[in-house]
Amino acid sequence: MFQPRPMTHLLIAASKEQMASVVTELYRHQIFHITDFVDQGKEGYEGVKIGVPFENAGELSNNLLKIRSIESVFQTAPSTQSTVQMRPAETIRAAIDSELPKIEGEVSSLTVKRSNAETRIRECEQRINELKPFALVPLELDLYRGYESLTVFAGYIEHDLDISVPHEKNYVAGKDGNFIVVFAESKNAADIERQLADAGFQSVSLPVESGTVQAAVEKYTVELGKVTQIREDCTAKIVELKAKYADLLAACDEVLSCDVERAEAPLRFATTDEAFVIDGWIPADTVDKITAALNQATGERVYVTVDPSDYEATAVPVEYNNPSFAKPAELFMDLYSRPKYKELDPTIILAIMFPLLFGFIVGDLGYGLLYLALALVLRKFLLKMGEMGTKAFIVILGAAISTSVFGLLYSEFFGTSLPWHSIIFSRHLPIGAGMEHAMPQVIELLIISALLGVIYISVGRFFGMINHYRMDHPGSHRTKAILAQLGWNFILWGILVLILSVADLNEYCQFPFALPTFVGIPTIAGIIGAILIVVGCVFVAIENPLDLMEIPTNTLSHMLSFCRLAAVGLSSVAIAMVVNFMAVDLFISPAMANLDVVGVLLIIVGVIILILGHALNVALGILGGALHPIRLHYVEFFTKFYQGGGIIYKPFGLKRKFSEE
Amino acid sequence: MAIESMTVEAATALASGYTAIGAGLAVGLAGVGTGIGEMGIGAAAVGATAEDRGMFGLALLFTVLPETVVIFGLVIALLLIFV
Repeated sequence: MFQPRPMTHLLIAASKEQMASVVTELYRHQIFHITDFVDQGKEGYEGVKIGVPFENAGELSNNLLKIRSIESVFQTAPSTQSTVQMRPAETIRAAIDSELPKIEGEVSSLTVKRSNAETRIRECEQRINELKPFALVPLELDLYRGYESLTVFAGYIEHDLDISVPHEKNYVAGKDGNFIVVFAESKNAADIERQLADAGFQSVSLPVESGTVQAAVEKYTVELGKVTQIREDCTAKIVELKAKYADLLAACDEVLSCDVERAEAPLRFATTDEAFVIDGWIPADTVDKITAALNQATGERVYVTVDPSDYEATAVPVEYNNPSFAKPAELFMDLYSRPKYKELDPTIILAIMFPLLFGFIVGDLGYGLLYLALALVLRKFLLKMGEMGTKAFIVILGAAISTSVFGLLYSEFFGTSLPWHSIIFSRHLPIGAGMEHAMPQVIELLIISALLGVIYISVGRFFGMINHYRMDHPGSHRTKAILAQLGWNFILWGILVLILSVADLNEYCQFPFALPTFVGIPTIAGIIGAILIVVGCVFVAIENPLDLMEIPTNTLSHMLSFCRLAAVGLSSVAIAMVVNFMAVDLFISPAMANLDVVGVLLIIVGVIILILGHALNVALGILGGALHPIRLHYVEFFTKFYQGGGIIYKPFGLKRKFSEE
Repeated sequence: MAIESMTVEAATALASGYTAIGAGLAVGLAGVGTGIGEMGIGAAAVGATAEDRGMFGLALLFTVLPETVVIFGLVIALLLIFV
């Protein structure tokens, strides 16, 4: 909690004969994060080179390439394929040897045939298009060629023209352009060409077919039909093959991906002529397990050692270490940035607060149940997407439940009241019949939101102090940074004390408990507030005087930013109530009172407004309810302490879906 | 209408009308300001995300920064109407 999983730096060394068994063993456990060896020619590393892949790597990669190309023809990928059954890797490897050439042959002959058909389709279509303008000219196609002393011009032209030399001309005005065909003696060709060019002539190629234009077009149309049929047949056969082999291919892809990754692993090791060293990280609690496993696999012919040097200097991969209920919120963390190894990991705060804030904003039983239904509908689709989809599903589920619970507390159901009065804050606005005397507790909502902001900002600053203490090098710089964080908190609290010394918030709102107020002791409170602000400013200025410029944004503006929780929520309620008012009070109720044909139409319009309006509000609720809490965490909370940019822990090994060793 | 000839009801109604206009202006103008602010940032953010998917979080953060302005407008409007 608040800490990534502890990691240990491990070095594994052995003679090259043991490489295969070490790689296999590490791959099997899927916990070792390899740090790639970079050959920089540093002193002390003479004779150490990057390793070479195992012998079969080339062949494996080749096979993998073949499978990927077939998969791209089939338009499938292992990630979109669902697991039917786990098959033993050995049978898959046998299938790769025996079946792959056959499948590849079938698929490639089909794709060649299909692409030939496609080429021919394009040619036919082009010929038909080229012949189209000639259809309007009453000449047979043979007449356009085969002359010794005549030149033929054919093409589009802007307007008809009189040609000054002897010629034969056919001009057809048309919508797509005016088409002209000119026959003239070759000796006048240059002259005619110039005159045509002046009229904006664009030549087209002369037909090579014979007979009438209609016959030629007919011929190409028939051929087009035939080749289109061939293409369809090929596509159908490919779909058939896909249905037959998609599972096998996914399994082959997986097995080969594993094999290739293993075969190419030495590229990440440091090797000498006789030995190799693997540098990497594993979770601290698995050191003994992996050491024992390696010793067993190699018959004690491996040297495994823990490097105890300072972790700050080296890049430690970061794996979250959160209780299972907080795992889904890691999605939001990774969207921002993975925490650094020594940094506080705020995932758990996000995990708790995101659904709460979502519910606080949307807070409507009807919408909550709709989100719940949405989550259940999307369930199958999301769970198929793997770990990320599962996390997304839980996030949506949490938000939906929280929205429903807040709906019960606010007493809201699609903008209308539930049979009881609101339990926490009333958000019913004076909109619509019977709501004229509604008294929404707007000020209470705003104050509670801003107070939440104060808590968030203060906690963020404390986290900032802890992070500076842990991550900075000891010295005056670290002390200044920590003091500056404290200074910011002092300024915020000072401003708050000053506000509370002149204004009694209890006058504006009713909470079951009294809010602290200092109006009784304005002088003392004023002095304390002023001292806090001055001391805070000094602390901030010691680190960087320019930071003082940020006082308005970093304190007041960030605190007030939390008012969005109340404001966005109220706007959602307002939209729901306005929709209800428009649909029910303006259309449905008057029509029900006087039911006739027009009345029925009005009711239909009313129902449509009701459905569309609430659909819009549900969508806006997702957007507003999700985006605003996330933004509050990212902008107002994280900027106080969080840097991120940690290396993502990627254990060596592939999670298998289709095959097992 | 001359101020002297107004009844108390008319004056109250006029006042609440002005309040509503003020509230509308607060939200509307703040929204326009936010829109202008987000215009450039949004374009740059989309560009950055297209170059590198990893920029998404940071790009989102930058894009929503000016959004606070419209929330201030909304808060002012709520205060005008409900206090």
